[in-house]
Amino acid sequence: MSWRPIRSGMNVISKWLHSFRALSNMMAAPLIRAALALVVILLLGAVFHADGAFFDWNTHRDMLRQVSVYGMLACGMTLVIITAGIDLSVGSVLGLVAVLFSMMTIHQGWSPYVAIPLCLSAGALCGLVSGALVARYALQPFIVTLAMMVFARGLAKSLSGGQKISTYIQSEAGHFESVPLPPIFSTLDNRILGGNVAVVTVLFLLCVAITWVVLRRLRVGRYLYAIGGNETSAHLSGVPVGRVKILAYGLSGFFAAVAGICQAAQETQGDPEAGATYELTAIAIVVIGGTSLMGGRGSVLLTLLGALTIGYLEKILSLNAVGESSRLMLTGAIIIAAVLLQRRQGPGAR
Amino acid sequence: MMWKFGRRSALLVALVTLLTACGGGEQPAREEGQPSGVGETETFVIGMSQCNLGEPWRVQMNADIKAAAALHPHLKVLFKDAGNDTLTQRAHVEEFVNQGVDVLICSPKEAAPLTDPLKKAYEAGIPVIVLDRAVFGEAFTQFIGADNKLIGEAAGRWAALKLDGQGKVVELKGLMTSVPGQDRNAGFRAGIAESDLEVIFEADMEWLGPKAREEMESALARFEQIDLVYGHNDPAAQGAYLAARAAGREKDIIFVGIDGLPQEGQVMVREGVLDVCFEYPTGGAQAIATALEVLEGKEVPREIVLPSRYFTADNLEGGGEWLEKPSDVKAKPRVKSGP
Repeated sequence: MSWRPIRSGMNVISKWLHSFRALSNMMAAPLIRAALALVVILLLGAVFHADGAFFDWNTHRDMLRQVSVYGMLACGMTLVIITAGIDLSVGSVLGLVAVLFSMMTIHQGWSPYVAIPLCLSAGALCGLVSGALVARYALQPFIVTLAMMVFARGLAKSLSGGQKISTYIQSEAGHFESVPLPPIFSTLDNRILGGNVAVVTVLFLLCVAITWVVLRRLRVGRYLYAIGGNETSAHLSGVPVGRVKILAYGLSGFFAAVAGICQAAQETQGDPEAGATYELTAIAIVVIGGTSLMGGRGSVLLTLLGALTIGYLEKILSLNAVGESSRLMLTGAIIIAAVLLQRRQGPGAR
Repeated sequence: MMWKFGRRSALLVALVTLLTACGGGEQPAREEGQPSGVGETETFVIGMSQCNLGEPWRVQMNADIKAAAALHPHLKVLFKDAGNDTLTQRAHVEEFVNQGVDVLICSPKEAAPLTDPLKKAYEAGIPVIVLDRAVFGEAFTQFIGADNKLIGEAAGRWAALKLDGQGKVVELKGLMTSVPGQDRNAGFRAGIAESDLEVIFEADMEWLGPKAREEMESALARFEQIDLVYGHNDPAAQGAYLAARAAGREKDIIFVGIDGLPQEGQVMVREGVLDVCFEYPTGGAQAIATALEVLEGKEVPREIVLPSRYFTADNLEGGGEWLEKPSDVKAKPRVKSGP
């Protein structure tokens, strides 16, 4: 009996260990870890493919459309969370803008060239007000945006009278007449590139691009990270903390408005209840991506991966017609698993 | 420091003004004069406790009550919305009792927690009309509701007739933890039991149109042949229609909804989005009719089951077709388009 095979076996194992170490080094990069969570979910999809439906491009196209509205909210949420803040109002602002947009275009018949800028400004204004309260009066972002969440929802309900703003309008005689759906609705709910990509998905990617430019290409991006890292030292280093925070919340409101317009287009109506609990999904997307709730760390590319992870998870559960109760439990478990996977190893990790 | 106080008190004044302005409309009319016992000039105050105005169907219920009461100038209705919170609704009921309303209408969120507060109101001599969802016991004047099981069964029978006894069905369910969801499901299954209709895909859409659209997209991705979609409410059927239209398959599918609100289901039928919708009546008008009878001192039955109707493109203008029992439905089998 020779030692040779054993020695060569040891060699193989040591090489193995070596590459494993290289892998775990690579794993230190947050982007890789976020991608890994997505890959795990995709593998789940490949196993539970629902008679091959998972391998059909249309499934992926529809998933991308479904996750777009959440993703838009998550873009703004990323900016705010990087400053160590939170924006709970995005779901309500979405609902408010969906109502405003539908009232302007369907009921008033305004041109989208007027309605869209007005709606985007309204959303941004909600965010700017929250930001100003956070920055000027040093109030907790949680409580300020909670108040904005309640207020915006109330405003949406009061403007709409509690009813959905649809193409079905009550005439003076009390009958309900239908008016044609303004073309902007079908334009936004359409698909391009040979019917392969939804317009809202393109808008979502545009939001990601804007957020990326803000964070990586503009000076204000470095300020956002600096504030989240250590607000006092950022202030002492001459960062205009107040103004940068207001901008972050303003952009969050802006993206929520984009999402609201897209929601209205996809629903063909403005529902004052639209977007309820969407803020929680947006936060989950950001955190699953790996952006730290403590601020100062994260990126919008992580958020993009987080959005895909949540989107595919929902889609796979839906394709397999998993019952509602098991779906909730599975979603909770998988979110925890993804966040554990995201956890930075070693001391000082947060 | 002065300016700071100034600003704060200004804020306070503004808040108080706002609150007074908001609350102004809810003062009971009785306090405004009108001595009681002067015959027809006497004003009666009706308290209406609604569990959740977040649902369009409940907004419609309040609107129906308001419209019916508007025909009787001596009735004044105070509306309270509990925002889907059981304990808030309980507080509202108690407020109405303390206020001494003449009739209490309540559409309770849940049976158990509201049974006792309504019983106290009833025992305090206030006529209690319970709408849509029942409470336990007998301590109320009248319960008005519709039967979701029968309506679901009618929808099932209609579907079986329309598909000539066989086909593949997608069922988009409301919350299966809610009684209406369970009843609309069980009723439909009973309605198609004698046919060869097969439910190939079912999912919980939580009563939400956008969620229904997502579930329908999954169904479309999985199944080449879908003949009919049964939505537990009209927005679900509409969401399914939007998904099917995006896939270019809406012409091959029959869409069935429930609720039949004038601004939702009925117009969707007129638009050709839905092929049929079954009304789930709110009972708002009946509640006011009962309140009037009670105020005149008449005896009223303990329970009223509201009749339902269904709307199709053919009968919509005539106000729909009334149903006494589920087997009353009529539908011509569809002619399949294309090869």
